[in-house]
Amino acid sequence: MSTLADIQGTGLGIKRELIPQIQSYYKRAEPDALIRNIDFVEIAPENWIGASGKYLKDLNWFVEHFPIACHGLCLSLGGPDPLNTAFLKQVKQFLTDFKIPLYTEHLSYCTDYYQGKPGYLYDLLPIPFTEEAVHYVANRIKQTQDILGQKIAVENASFYAAAPMSNMSEIEFLNAVLTEADCWLHLDINNIYVNSVNFKFDASEFLRQIPGERIVYSHVAGHYQETPNLLIDTHAADVIDPVWKLLEEAYQLFGTFPTLLERDSKIPPLETLIHEVDRIADYQKQYHASNQTLAAC
Amino acid sequence: MLSFQEYQIAFAAHIRDPKNNPRPKGVPANRMGVYTHGVYLNVKEAVSACFPVCQSVIGPRKWQQVCKLFFAQHATETPIFREIPEEFLDFISTTDLGALKLPDFFQQLAHYEWVELAVSAMPDTMAQPGTTDDLLNKAPVFAPHMLLAYDYPVHKISPSYKPAEQAPTFLLVYRQTDGTIQFNELNPVTYQLIQQLEEGITARTALLNIASAIQHPEPEVIVTFGIDILKGLREQGAIV
Repeated sequence: MSTLADIQGTGLGIKRELIPQIQSYYKRAEPDALIRNIDFVEIAPENWIGASGKYLKDLNWFVEHFPIACHGLCLSLGGPDPLNTAFLKQVKQFLTDFKIPLYTEHLSYCTDYYQGKPGYLYDLLPIPFTEEAVHYVANRIKQTQDILGQKIAVENASFYAAAPMSNMSEIEFLNAVLTEADCWLHLDINNIYVNSVNFKFDASEFLRQIPGERIVYSHVAGHYQETPNLLIDTHAADVIDPVWKLLEEAYQLFGTFPTLLERDSKIPPLETLIHEVDRIADYQKQYHASNQTLAAC
Repeated sequence: MLSFQEYQIAFAAHIRDPKNNPRPKGVPANRMGVYTHGVYLNVKEAVSACFPVCQSVIGPRKWQQVCKLFFAQHATETPIFREIPEEFLDFISTTDLGALKLPDFFQQLAHYEWVELAVSAMPDTMAQPGTTDDLLNKAPVFAPHMLLAYDYPVHKISPSYKPAEQAPTFLLVYRQTDGTIQFNELNPVTYQLIQQLEEGITARTALLNIASAIQHPEPEVIVTFGIDILKGLREQGAIV
């Protein structure tokens, strides 16, 4: 059974079209096999809860061959409607059934109260950065951790519209929530970059204020440039150099930590996509080695 | 309601239905546009993937109108992506869409398209192939399936065939062991037979019930006729 300690090294987010490719390349005995750097994978519980037939077989195959992290999309930690505890119980059962040691979610909301009824919008909407919202979201994270009986990690989300009533910066908000909820951080490097362009702040400065000890793992991904001042977090392109550079900076600041490539659409063949996973692994080797050297001095 | 939540609700309301809910004050139009455009497209994609025939039969413009109404008016209750099409089905069967002048068969066609998804998502049957060794005297075990009765031949509808007249249509949709979904058109007697078998009685009892209901002079003829149908269903993997 996988434990949290097994979520390490480099990972790849699982999409349906990648499954047969990964399965056909899986050869445990060959250390230089194409997918040698896939140490763990990530799935969205909203895609897999209740899976049956072929999907269940695929899920079981991954359980057998890789440590899995669950990265949720629809818990709506910042949502105005009551936390969906029935769904959380399904998540808990899912984690138990498939021996998944980690569940992470976004610092955003995806539900509303439209015409008096709670409903889902299935996307990541921004939470206004206020004191009130910090307490509200931290409480919902605590409630989630109580129900699951384990700590979760929350991800710094990408966003495009700042709420006019926000009176904190994103990093202040993030840190306040992490401290109050006492949860882990799922650090999204691409989201820092996307938001830094969209809201004109210094990504490196943001990174330096991250509580490194809370990082459980991180994401890198590609995005779409709609205009020079507006980036959309599509996960539909290659990771760009400034994002790689930010990942390097993070490794320098905090030491290496597990890092996973997210690619959700316009997915190239695995033979191509894997180069980005390999690149993460290269940085990890490089900075792991340099940290070792530093420690030895 | 906390003040930041009022904003969140107004923000989401504008995403759902920009025409009828104003953009929150202080949010630039181009940034809001990322959400009004992107969030709707996501939902539309999740729905469209399940209903390709509905889409092609009514055309992209009307399909867009239906999807926009669904997104604007329906508070979906499920966080599970696979269940979004069922919410759509629920929406079109409980909402007056008269103004869109959709074909009469539209709802039933949508249901039929959703069935494929529903049957692929059904829990696996634990029974091994060959479980039903005695077709006549043991209640047969079915593969994951749905038995359906429609007013239109929904399985034949396409852009070049849009029936105006009703024609009662009976279908069995089931999942073979390799996950493939199969559709069988049934005659009314076979439909009745499977309906009774689903209650867990033996085929002999079910067939004799049918024979007596239609006052057949030689009930054994019906039994023989029935056994052939069941053999066929077992060969196709509908009965395991």
